Amino acid sequence: MTDVPSSPAFGGSVEAVMEALSRERYVIDRGLATAAFLAIRLEKPLLIEGEPGCGKTEIAKALAAASGAELIRLQCYEGLDASASLYEWDYPRQLLEIRLHERDRTTAQLETEIYSERFLLRRPLLRALEGRGPVRPVLLIDELDRADEEFEGLLLEVLSEFQVTVPEIGTIRATTIPLVILTSNRTRELGDAIKRRCLYAYIGYPTADKEVEILRRRLPGLPEHFAREIAGFVQRLRGQEDLAKRPGVAETLDWAAALLALGEGSLRSVSVTETLGLLLKDARDLESYRQERLDSLLAAP
Amino acid sequence: MNRSPPFPTGARVLSRVQGFLDRLRAEGVQVGVAAGVDLGHALDLVPTLDRPAFRESCRVTLAKSPADLAKLDWVFDEYWSSPATVPVPPASEEGKVPNRRERRGSPGPMPPRARPPRTEEVREMIEGRYSPRAPPTGHALAPVSPSELRRLRSGARRFRRRVATLPGRHWHRAPTGTIDLRRTARRSLRTGGEWVELSHRDRTARRADLVVLWDVSGSMREHTGPLFALVHTLHRVIRRTRVFAFGHEIEEVSGLFQGQSYARALPELTGRLAGTGGGTQIAHCLGEFRRHWGAVLRSSTTVVIVSDGWDLGETEVLGSELERLRHQTAQVVWVNPYAAEKGFVPATAALKVALPFLDLLASPADFPRPHAPRHLGRGRSWAG
Repeated sequence: MTDVPSSPAFGGSVEAVMEALSRERYVIDRGLATAAFLAIRLEKPLLIEGEPGCGKTEIAKALAAASGAELIRLQCYEGLDASASLYEWDYPRQLLEIRLHERDRTTAQLETEIYSERFLLRRPLLRALEGRGPVRPVLLIDELDRADEEFEGLLLEVLSEFQVTVPEIGTIRATTIPLVILTSNRTRELGDAIKRRCLYAYIGYPTADKEVEILRRRLPGLPEHFAREIAGFVQRLRGQEDLAKRPGVAETLDWAAALLALGEGSLRSVSVTETLGLLLKDARDLESYRQERLDSLLAAP
Repeated sequence: MNRSPPFPTGARVLSRVQGFLDRLRAEGVQVGVAAGVDLGHALDLVPTLDRPAFRESCRVTLAKSPADLAKLDWVFDEYWSSPATVPVPPASEEGKVPNRRERRGSPGPMPPRARPPRTEEVREMIEGRYSPRAPPTGHALAPVSPSELRRLRSGARRFRRRVATLPGRHWHRAPTGTIDLRRTARRSLRTGGEWVELSHRDRTARRADLVVLWDVSGSMREHTGPLFALVHTLHRVIRRTRVFAFGHEIEEVSGLFQGQSYARALPELTGRLAGTGGGTQIAHCLGEFRRHWGAVLRSSTTVVIVSDGWDLGETEVLGSELERLRHQTAQVVWVNPYAAEKGFVPATAALKVALPFLDLLASPADFPRPHAPRHLGRGRSWAG
């Protein structure tokens, strides 16, 4: 095994990763910490799949914050292509350059000049590869399942060789290998080629204890008993089979923050009814959870 | 006290790790050489005598889906709890023991589940998952003719155009439309920066996004051959297609279609459906689909339910499940193998309940027809 550089914040162990992320108020279990540690040390991209709102994006932010690295985020969407993710030529400036020098330069000179790095607009992937410094940048490729299959093809060279080829300039190689985190909500199956290049982790819904811990870390003003009440209610709600969209941790945090802002100290039927829209994001779910069902959920042990 | 056997150290680890990889492959987890190398590198970094750390390293490097994780967990416990390497079943043609993947199809995107108990009874139960209320009848997948396949493909392409009419985020060059400033500027470089000719662009229609729910219960047995041809064609023609087989339970079988020609997929599916039988529970299966794969549904998704509508489940639940499905997706199409028959009326309880939530009730025979209605009308037959 070659001696690969790792971020100083993470030392050389899984425990160090857990501690560093804990300082960033990110509650992490050993499995995910091992995945992050191996991604750092093996310089392999980490693909994280899981339920929406359960901390896939947050871990990239926490890793960047913990190591003092720059977080470079690429939000995927249908139609994302090389010009939005990798690089693009700055056409207006190229035109201006041509106009300015059309009399004192030859065509060949102009061509060489306008296709130089000076006129290159760097998009997130290229910026991540060009990162220079003692700390590896964190590249977050978020919700990759939203992008087209063609975009996965584009990523292959970037993720396996950490280089990109710009025909007019040549191949640009990363001097500092970025820490790459890819996330997916599994709305479609990602290609085998991309999976083969990545380490893999899955984040499901947290246990009640973990959710209480998350609430306490993220909302320090929340009393312990109230955090337990909230987590217990959300856990029971998640267990309902007829929900179209189960609330994630992000929804729990929003809801708890809203209850705190309203000055609540414990779960009351009225306040739950009024704020249920923060937990349930589907109109049919909201409709079906009227007073009686909510009361039975609140009353459950 | 129940103690784990001593963990092997040194060179023995390598041979046992290799055995572990072979065991995983036999269970249908696709572990490549690169993943094995990754595990080797990972084991340099974590203490191999630390069992939880070793397990996590295996999970991170070898698994590539939630289904892989679930399999890896129980194979890990089984393999690393015994002092000797668990032998991999023989793979000779004659006495071939089908692995889990061969018996159950490709792993779907099920969330990690609790490890199943290691008993033979459970394996028997999994074998009969489609037909707990009827003996397995099997499905003989009679091949359709090449000309019929060609006609099906043409029909599927027409269907693709019909279900992909919304404008997407993609842009493409077009003779008319909005002015493409970037392309115009780039083209002007050829003429010294003069904007001699304007380029235009337009939005490309969003790609069809299809989910096929295919009833493979006993009552569908005689139609399975043509229906398989239809499902295979839809999967081949429409790139974003996921296929789920259901009867009493539902599971994803997209992997069996992936990259497989019709001729190659046919025998594999025949073997795969050998243990299926009667006892359809459509409502239950739709509920399971929503719970486990609900995230695959988008507002642009077209859901195609291929079923005869013979259902043993609760029709009220079916109504609410279909209403949800209709609410979440662009359209719901029901393909009934009997719909083309003369005098057909949707008389089964399930179809009666389903009709208000359908955009189209079609027959497999409607797909090859060149003149299908342009607009999908709710509850209308293809020909009507």
